[in-house]
Amino acid sequence: MAKTVAQINEKIKKGTVVVVSAEAFSAMAKEKDLKELSEEVDIVTTATFGPMCSSGAIINFGHWSPGIRMEEITLNGVNAYEGLAAVDTYIGAASESKFDATYGGSNVIEELIDGKDVRLHARGKGTDCYPTKEIDTYINKDTINEFYLFNPRNAYQNYAAATNSTNRIKYTYMGSLLPQFSNVTYSTSGELSPLLNDPYLRTIGLGTRIFLGGGEGYVVWNGTQFNTRRERTAEGIPTLPGATLAVIGDAKQMSREYIRSAYYEKYGVSMFVGIGIPIPVLDEKMAAHLAISNEKITTNILDYGQDGHPSVGTCSYAELASGLVTLSDGKEVKTAPLSSLAKAREIAELLASWIKEKRFFLSEPVHTFPTDSFVKPLVPREGGEK
Amino acid sequence: MKKRYALRFSPTLVEQPIVSKLARSYDVDINILNADVASGRGGKLIVELSGTEQDLDASVVYLGEIGVIVSEMVKELLFNQEGCIDCGACTAVCSSGALWMDAEAKLQFDVSHCVVCGLCVHACPMRLFEVSHEREA
Repeated sequence: MAKTVAQINEKIKKGTVVVVSAEAFSAMAKEKDLKELSEEVDIVTTATFGPMCSSGAIINFGHWSPGIRMEEITLNGVNAYEGLAAVDTYIGAASESKFDATYGGSNVIEELIDGKDVRLHARGKGTDCYPTKEIDTYINKDTINEFYLFNPRNAYQNYAAATNSTNRIKYTYMGSLLPQFSNVTYSTSGELSPLLNDPYLRTIGLGTRIFLGGGEGYVVWNGTQFNTRRERTAEGIPTLPGATLAVIGDAKQMSREYIRSAYYEKYGVSMFVGIGIPIPVLDEKMAAHLAISNEKITTNILDYGQDGHPSVGTCSYAELASGLVTLSDGKEVKTAPLSSLAKAREIAELLASWIKEKRFFLSEPVHTFPTDSFVKPLVPREGGEK
Repeated sequence: MKKRYALRFSPTLVEQPIVSKLARSYDVDINILNADVASGRGGKLIVELSGTEQDLDASVVYLGEIGVIVSEMVKELLFNQEGCIDCGACTAVCSSGALWMDAEAKLQFDVSHCVVCGLCVHACPMRLFEVSHEREA
């Protein structure tokens, strides 16, 4: 019998809810009938902890006296966006310090979350209502007003694996890629990954309550580069990067256990973001999606040594996790992960415990995301030609 | 056996004939690889000592006792495991078998396999690896 989100929330209140992680559910599905499982299990927790560059934080600093209309803002030497009202800013995780390329917005965000002081420098032109022209001071998460993450693109559904055909090492956001196809890196939590467990985003939409960075957050839009036109497997999993999520959450509740700055050699700064999404087992069809296992999820291996990153093979996540994959020309290559499966497991367990402790309830999306969306390239055009 | 050491002297120690004393009393051969010493301001010697293990150990004890700061020149990989998030990016470049992901998806490090190639220093997004050239003797 089908269940509703409201019924599942009732079970949470009564303390009778059955929650398991997506990995545990996949293992159970190998032994048990899906119909039976869909009745027995109410919620499956999914999670990921990987580098997600398209992340950042909104901050309101509070007003200086006499006021300043901040028009050039740096936090620990990292540029923050000045085009909002007087003392609002957005600091992007991938924004780099003017003084140290290994330090950036993600470090600032991590330090603020961790309760540390951060140096704020700002200039304004000086106006009748905002006469101050320059300030140089310190802030921390207790002195500022709002401080929340707003990440335009997180939780990629099936990110492609990477390799390198050239004769020199390539330092990329997919890690250090050794010459002549000597390694393959991949960034996913596989069968535990949120959007691989609900491939058509039936239960995930605007307003879905999630675990974000150690606190509670929400899905607020489809992520940028949201692509539903990818070829799909029989199970509905796109074979190349598909859906993404825009998420939001109060950074003051977060912890550096689940938000961590990162620096990729000769690429730049990024941020590891911990996301956990509870998926209600509404019916047998949902159970079938949630039963997905690493053997059934395939992805492409892209060559970062060539323009356009052409595919040089496909493989399953089970193969990627085994440590060895075979490229389409028959060459065997060793693999390495870039996202932390150990942390993702920790998040899935933590989210499950929040639900069991009646601290976290599911929400139904108030709006679902586009079903026909694709990613356009940036096409060069001369002199305003139409 | 042969070992390389960095010897750091205070200004007063520079006035003492330490090298000849080492050769005479501890039966070690001394090859000075680099010297930056000047009367009145102390300095640093990089030396290679050859002799038996006992003689080398005794030399290090003697140098320590008279106030020379002795460190052994060893290239080794230092790993600050505390900050590790078990992402696995370092395992992508480690071909010596010193770094690997275990069945629980946790990073394992076995220093005895490490050849100190240094690739993991650049591969780690948390920057937790460092190649050290000296260690306390």
